[in-house]
Amino acid sequence: MTAPTLTADRLRSERLRLRLRGWRDFARRFSRRREGIVGAAIIAFFAVLAVVPELIVGPLETATTASGTRLAAPDLTHVLGTDELGRDVLNLTVHGARISMVIGLLATLVTVSIGVFIGIVAGYIGGWIDTVLMRITDFFLVLPTFVLALILAPILREIIGTSSTIAGIRMTLIVIIIVIGVTSWASTARIVRSQTLSIKERAFVDRARVIGGGSGHIMTHHVLPNVVGLIVANTVLTFAGAILTETTLSFIGLGDPFQPSWGQLLDAARSSGAPGLGAWWYFMPPGVCIVLIVLAFTLVGGALDDVLNPRLRARR
Amino acid sequence: MGSYYLSRRLVQAIVTIAMIVALNFVLFRLMPGSPERATIRIPGVSAEVYQQTRARLGLDKAIFPDQFVAYIGTTLQGDLGYSYKYRGQPVSEVIGSRVWPTLILFGLGELVAIVAGLALGAYTGWRRGGPVDYAGNGLSLILYSMPYFLLGMILLVIFGVGLGWFPVSGMFNVGASYASFTDQLFDFARHLALPLATVSLGLIGQYSILMRSSIIETLGEDYVTTARAKGLTESHVLRNHAIPNALLPTVSLIAINLGYLIAGAITAEVVFNWPGLGTLAVEALTSRDYPVLQGIFLFLSVAVVLANLAADLIYGLLDPRVQA
Repeated sequence: MTAPTLTADRLRSERLRLRLRGWRDFARRFSRRREGIVGAAIIAFFAVLAVVPELIVGPLETATTASGTRLAAPDLTHVLGTDELGRDVLNLTVHGARISMVIGLLATLVTVSIGVFIGIVAGYIGGWIDTVLMRITDFFLVLPTFVLALILAPILREIIGTSSTIAGIRMTLIVIIIVIGVTSWASTARIVRSQTLSIKERAFVDRARVIGGGSGHIMTHHVLPNVVGLIVANTVLTFAGAILTETTLSFIGLGDPFQPSWGQLLDAARSSGAPGLGAWWYFMPPGVCIVLIVLAFTLVGGALDDVLNPRLRARR
Repeated sequence: MGSYYLSRRLVQAIVTIAMIVALNFVLFRLMPGSPERATIRIPGVSAEVYQQTRARLGLDKAIFPDQFVAYIGTTLQGDLGYSYKYRGQPVSEVIGSRVWPTLILFGLGELVAIVAGLALGAYTGWRRGGPVDYAGNGLSLILYSMPYFLLGMILLVIFGVGLGWFPVSGMFNVGASYASFTDQLFDFARHLALPLATVSLGLIGQYSILMRSSIIETLGEDYVTTARAKGLTESHVLRNHAIPNALLPTVSLIAINLGYLIAGAITAEVVFNWPGLGTLAVEALTSRDYPVLQGIFLFLSVAVVLANLAADLIYGLLDPRVQA
């Protein structure tokens, strides 16, 4: 009676060995892409800032705990100067990393979830459902979704309120996350649909259907795992877009002053007149961070695309 | 270009515009601060007055089809409702007064960016791996990663505040009277300089990246190898064989990205107080002037759909292979 378990064990270890080899192969090819490594290093740097900002610059300064004079230029105590309330800009920027990265991550998750759901359903079920879903997708691709986001944000704020928090994230930021997700899923849905169309013709999907697997089961257990691997690069690029959108939405006043992201800091800098006063130290630090993180995600996304989708590799 | 292609594109554009109009209706019903709620909040309002207001605004009828049909009818006549902030001025008038500044800024910006971005992309792609490619591609990537308003603030601090070369706010000097039209035009151009530089630089990054990858792809095609094998000079191959073919996919990508780009570019207006649609949208957002916000959404969406239609038709004329 021990034979079947032995086989199962061997099967498991063989699968593990193959997966490890796949990872090692991936790591080797990815490490050859210099821009991918640079990007990954930048992301790692900001990830550290986002996880432990208190260890680096202490707790987030507020109007009451501000440590300097108003709009002071950089000096030895405040290396990046202070804002219009006397708060240390370095302190604000480091704490901004956490808020920007968390919003970016959650907005990416919402975007990709909607895109994957719509893409798989449209591609797998097909027929008129596919036609309708793809019309809606194309509609969202053409639409100036940013202006739509401006309209959706106040509606959502009205519906879910702004006073409470979820897991320590204020409602205003939840609204931003949802708005980004609802307005930017379309390109993911397009990519997932085309992948689904090719996956559903493969033999293992036929086999699953023959042994009685329902559509729901096949979509979640057979199509989904195969799609996920193919949209990794796209997801990383979505992250870059999400951070840019968050920055823009915060800049025009939809952010939260109590949990300032980099975009919110830029809004505060503009509305306090910092650019007109030549106070570059107020908006340059969050600005440089935004450029660096978006650049990093773009570089990593491009490198991943090259490594994971080898058919395109010859072109570049 | 077959008539099938033409009619298909036309029908698509009409369907999309119909969807935009319908979405706008749904959004209006979800908006906070509907007239109904505003009336009921007035203390001591009698049920009679409330009913009369509802009847006057047509809110006592069913949302579908009565209210929807009435909405479609008025929207087709260009009636987008009334602004809250501008004391009952029609939305179409409020938007109309702000269209020209945006059109000038964005139109010129697009023009500069398309010419410069495509040229830069073609050159860096052609000289792939060289020093110009590294510098140009790096610069494009940085510009691509930078929000427009950040670029605007940097230009404002350097050229407006630091060097004092250009004014940093508005379209004209406040309260200025001009001796002649040329004086006025000159003042306008000086005010336009920094916002225009912001919009075009922001767009150049994206266009140059698109064109670079397109030209690299084209340079690997067989007909380019054939052209080289015939002994044509490199610059002749680039100008007469590679660039025309590389331009085609770029044209459609520019059109597809238009909606996305407009949205980002209008934030540049905010930095320079440029009195266009972007500034209007942000004003409307902060003062909760939802009819104006929706009017802008409707206007920009339709404009983008029409621009896409135009690009599709131009594409059909340029590329004889397009049939379906």
